Order: sequence, then structure tokens, then C-alpha cells
Amino acid sequence: MRSSRAEKIKCRVLAAAALLFLTSHAAAQTASTPAAPPQVALCTACHGPNGNSQIPLTPSLAGQPKVFIENQLVLIREGLRDIPQMKGMLDTLKDPELVALANHFSAQTPAKPTGSINQEVFERGKALSAKMLCGSCHLPDYSGRQQMPRLAGQNEAFLAYSMKQFRDHAGLGRDTVMSASLFGLKDNDLADLAHFLANYK
Amino acid sequence: MKNRIALCGALIAVGLSQAIAQTAPPPPAWQQGRGTDQAASPLAPVAGKLTATPVSELPIDKLKLPAGFKAEVWSHGTPGVRAMARSESGKVYVGSRGLGRVYEISDNGKERTSRIVVDKLNQPAVAFHKGSLYVMAIDKVLRFDGIEQNPNVAPVDLTAKFNLPPEQHHNWKYIRFGPDGKLYVPFGAPCNICELPTQEYAQLRRYDADGSNMEVIGRGIRNTQGFDWHPVTQEIWFTDHGRDWLGDDTPADELNRMSKTGLNFGFPYCHANGIADPDVKKDKACEGVTLPVTTMGAHAAVMGLHFYTGNMFPAEYKNAMFIARKGSWNRTKKSGYDVVMVKANADGTNAQMTPFVTGFLDEKTDDFFGRPVYLMQMPDGALLLSDEQTGAIYRISYAKQ
Ligand code: HEC
Ligand code: HEC
Repeated sequence: MRSSRAEKIKCRVLAAAALLFLTSHAAAQTASTPAAPPQVALCTACHGPNGNSQIPLTPSLAGQPKVFIENQLVLIREGLRDIPQMKGMLDTLKDPELVALANHFSAQTPAKPTGSINQEVFERGKALSAKMLCGSCHLPDYSGRQQMPRLAGQNEAFLAYSMKQFRDHAGLGRDTVMSASLFGLKDNDLADLAHFLANYK
Repeated sequence: MKNRIALCGALIAVGLSQAIAQTAPPPPAWQQGRGTDQAASPLAPVAGKLTATPVSELPIDKLKLPAGFKAEVWSHGTPGVRAMARSESGKVYVGSRGLGRVYEISDNGKERTSRIVVDKLNQPAVAFHKGSLYVMAIDKVLRFDGIEQNPNVAPVDLTAKFNLPPEQHHNWKYIRFGPDGKLYVPFGAPCNICELPTQEYAQLRRYDADGSNMEVIGRGIRNTQGFDWHPVTQEIWFTDHGRDWLGDDTPADELNRMSKTGLNFGFPYCHANGIADPDVKKDKACEGVTLPVTTMGAHAAVMGLHFYTGNMFPAEYKNAMFIARKGSWNRTKKSGYDVVMVKANADGTNAQMTPFVTGFLDEKTDDFFGRPVYLMQMPDGALLLSDEQTGAIYRISYAKQ
């Protein structure tokens, strides 16, 4: 797995390139197709084509529930959720623009997972998820709803990382119900869950 | 909400369980109180909203009130608004949860504008007292002196004086100064249902304004998010949320009256009108427990309580209570999502509840359009009603037809 530092650098470069692309091509958009919000190219530089991320620690946005994306974007803009790679990026965006981005990404089709499955780990994750009732909130197919994100097919490294965040130091603005849902789980439990969810089809 | 949007969860806060983790691993906190029959239930806290709702999407046209009453949009664009406090000069301060903001709303007589006084606090509530704005979050107490004259005044940090316990769940605040000049502060139970980790929770306290002379005035209070003083007796009446995961219709939320300090209101052993808890058991669970004036519907999420003392509404409303019910999540079919009027004798007998503002919920489709949370009376006798979901505040007025 790439280190997160290398990832940050790669993302910044991509983002800069995307910004250039954006400014030179913004005028070329026509009104005939329902226009994607102008910032989308910037986002997909890190979050991947159509919001299907190819960078391990950067989450996919495709098919995430609209409310989840909206609320995360507000938390990120307000600095409650601190994402160094996105710092300042949303400063000038007003709520309707965030809503438009959420609409756009929630309407994209999530890519099917293609990674190789370690059956033993997968089964352990599956059993644990059933026991911990993860599907009662995230839905039994882990497609998410409302404020509860899609987990199925999300990047494995990101899932493991974000669960650790929730368990150990969920920041201001994060939902305490999620932190409480991970109570008592060890790092290797989180890894099992992440492998299962990332490969869930 | 931290807790983003705060979702009132059925969950125990993590720290509590950590405290008991030395022994056998406890059941996952999230499952506490949730029976095996409920394991497949898809019920989960309702999503809050952090973005501003455009005026055109506010449910104002859907709201229904008794004849002669009218609701209009008073202000909007302040996501997550909860309890309000009004200063002498007429500025309205409002707390929130998800974004941890305190808003200041100014009224020039025609329109309202808002600014953020402070943000990134852990679920702050507000009170106004003798020229100062008091802001209390789960882990912080700030006082803004003379903020009306000096909008950028640096706050005085009173946190250390208040000795706030660490748990977060159900410890989001609602604060008020009482007729005695003391600051009243609830400390909820840090779980859906549990033996308390320490005795600092499930209680209502009062303090001197500077945080000294703390006194616990009531115990066994799971999660009160609203209280007011009876206009005649000056006794404090308060709402309290019942526990989750015992089924759609039990146990009910409560409206309580504190006839004297030191009473026990039942949590965790005894709920509603005397229902012994099936999980946290005790012999004679309801013995010595002060039962509610009336029950308020299971999972309805009773919030702000206001005794009406104005002259605008018809005489029958004088000294009646208005109570906002934010609405259920732990129920197959949604309920609450309204404001009710409760009339009762001063001693708590003969309580009658009638609908006052409805229309936030479409009972046929089970969709909701807003979540009414707190009421505040204006000098002209109109009521302001905050809607946490849409970030709007409505003004409710009456005119003879
Ligand atoms: C420079 C890279 C980069 C760019 C550009 C970027 N993001 Fe992100 N974004 C990230 C990373 C990395 C994370 C996860 C960080 C974490 O959780 O610590 C993230 C997280 C998110 C999340 C939270 C998702 C979740 O599942 O928790 C959302 C929503 C999001 N970004 C939306 C956007 C949008 C919309 C844009 C375009 C306006 C954008 N991002 C641009 C790197 C980027
Ligand atoms: C009570 C409902 C609930 C339960 C049960 C629950 N979650 Fe969550 N989960 C949430 C909510 C709400 C969020 C969004 C939190 C936020 O935005 O602060 C979330 C977020 C997450 C995220 C972050 C994903 C992202 O894209 O940012 C992961 C990973 C996750 N949950 C995994 C799990 C797992 C694994 C389980 C079972 C052990 C579980 N959840 C159980 C409600 C729940």
C-alpha cells in the first residue's frame, strides 16, 4: 500500500492538474446535458473516475447516500472533519453547491470490487458484521442510507483507517453512534471487517 | 451531528463501557437493551441535516394550527437550530448540535439576519442572564459579557468551575436560568439503558451563575431536554425521554413536575407510569419513584416545554404548556413531529394533551418535513418555534377572526 504521504503528494499534483483543466475547459460546457457541477473534475482527481477511487486511503464517493455526502462536505468545509488533502478546497462553496456535488456523486454507479479475496478473513469479517449488527444501520447489503454511508466495495485501507478513527478519536462533528458501534473491537477485528466490506458484492 | 447531527442514538457512549472493560468483555454497547427479537430491526436514528434549507423547501404551508393561529417563517438558513434565548435588546441566541454553533439573530423589525458567535463546540446550548450570554457545551462553559454592545467580546472560560463529567451521550445541553437566578443544567444517562457508571449522570443540577454552589435537585432523569417554571407555583416542570428498544409503544416519554428537590424519577429501573425495566432489574423498581404528570407517547422525543404567559393567545392558553415533540426513530411508524398543548392543574393532576402544531409528518407516507424542538415567547406574546431539521425558526401568532 502506498504511504499516505505519497498519496497526499500524488493527490495534490492531480488536483492541480485538474484545476488547470477546469479553468481552461469550463467555458466549453454546454447546457444540453445536465451539467455536472464545475468542481467535479477537481474531486475526481483524487476520488477517481465517477467517484470510484483508485487510491487506497481516499474513499470512493460513487453511490454514497446524498445526505451522507452533503453532511460530510459541510463538516469538511467547516473544519470539523480535518482532511489535510482537502484543506481550503471547499471554502468558497455555498451550501447549494455542496448539495449539487452530493447529488452528482450519489447518482454515480459504484464500481464492482475486483480485489482478490482471502476467504478465511472474509468469513471472519462477515460473521463479525452480523454479530455487531452493522447492517441494521448501513443496510443488509451495506449500500447505506441517509447519513449512514455505503460500505460495500469501499477501499479496504480506507475502511480500516476510518473505523480506527471512529473507535479511537472520532473528531467533533462525527456521529457518536458509529463510535459506539465499534466498541470492544481490536485492530485485527477492524481489518477483518474492512476486508469483508471492501469485497462485498 | 459531534454527534452529528446529533442523532440521539440508542448507544451507550464508548467510555462508559471502557470503565467496565477490565472484567469480562461486555456486550457491544450498541446492542445494549436491544433484545434478540429486535436484532433484524432496521430502525436507526434519523439523519440530521447540516446544509441550509432554502426557504422554498420549508414546510410552512404544510403546518396546521387551531383556528385563528398562524405560523410564518421568522428566520432561516441556520442549520441545526435548537433552544433559543433572548437578550434585553432583542437579539436571539440559538444553540445547535452538529456544527457546534451558536448563532446570533438580529431583527430590524422587517427581516432577520444571523451571524455565528462561536462554532466547533461540542453541542452547545445557550442562556442569557444580566447582560451576558452563557454557552454550555458537553465539555465547556463560556460567558460572553456585554455581547450586545461588543459583538466580538472574548469569552470568559468558566469550564473548570462546573466540573462537567466526561461522557457525551445524552449529555448535550439545555440550560436555563431559573426564577432564583440559578443556572439549571441536565446531565443525561450516557446510554440507552444501563446502571450508571458513576452517580454524576441522569440528574438535574443547579449552580450559581459562576459555577459555584452546585446542587443536584433531581435524580433518575434519563434525558431531559426541556424545562420551565410554573408561572404560579414556580415549580420546575420538565420533559424526559424514555428508553429505546422495548417496542413501538413502550415506554412513553414523560412530563414531570418537581414539587420539591431531591426526588427520584426512576431511571434506570422504572420508566413512564411505573414500568419496571426488563434489563436493569431491581426489587420494587418503582418504589419511591415520582411518576410523571402525564406520559407523552413512546419515542416521541419530548423537547422544549414552555408555560404560556402572554396576552396574545386566547385566555384558555394562559399558563398552559406548549411542548415540542421532535419525533421518533425507534418506532416502526413515526410519531411525534409536532407541538402539543398540555393543560394540567398546578398540582399536576388532570393533565390533558391536545395537538397544537401538526403537519410536520405525513402519516400516510411516514415522511417528515421538519423536527420542531424549542419554543420561546416574544414580548408581544407570539411564540417562536425552532425546527432543528430545516434550520428555520417559525413565528406563531394569533388574531381573532
Ligand atoms: C487532494 C485529494 C482530494 C481532493 C482533490 C478531494 N478530496 Fe475528498 N477526500 C480526500 C481524502 C484523502 C479523503 C479521506 C480522508 C480521511 O478520511 O482522512 C476525502 C474524503 C472526502 C469525503 C468523505 C467521504 C467518506 O466516505 O468519508 C467526501 C464526501 C469528499 N472527500 C468529497 C470531495 C469532493 C466533493 C471533492 C471535490 C470538491 C473532493 N473531495 C476533493 C482527498 C481529496
Ligand atoms: C446505529 C447505526 C450504526 C451502526 C450499528 C453502525 N454504523 Fe457505521 N456509521 C453510522 C453512521 C451514522 C456513520 C456516519 C458517521 C459520521 O458521519 O460521523 C457511519 C460511518 C461508518 C464508516 C465510515 C465510512 C465512510 O465512508 O466514511 C464505517 C467504515 C462504518 N460506519 C462501519 C461500520 C461497521 C463495520 C459497523 C458494525 C461494526 C457499523 N458501521 C455499525 C451508523 C452506524
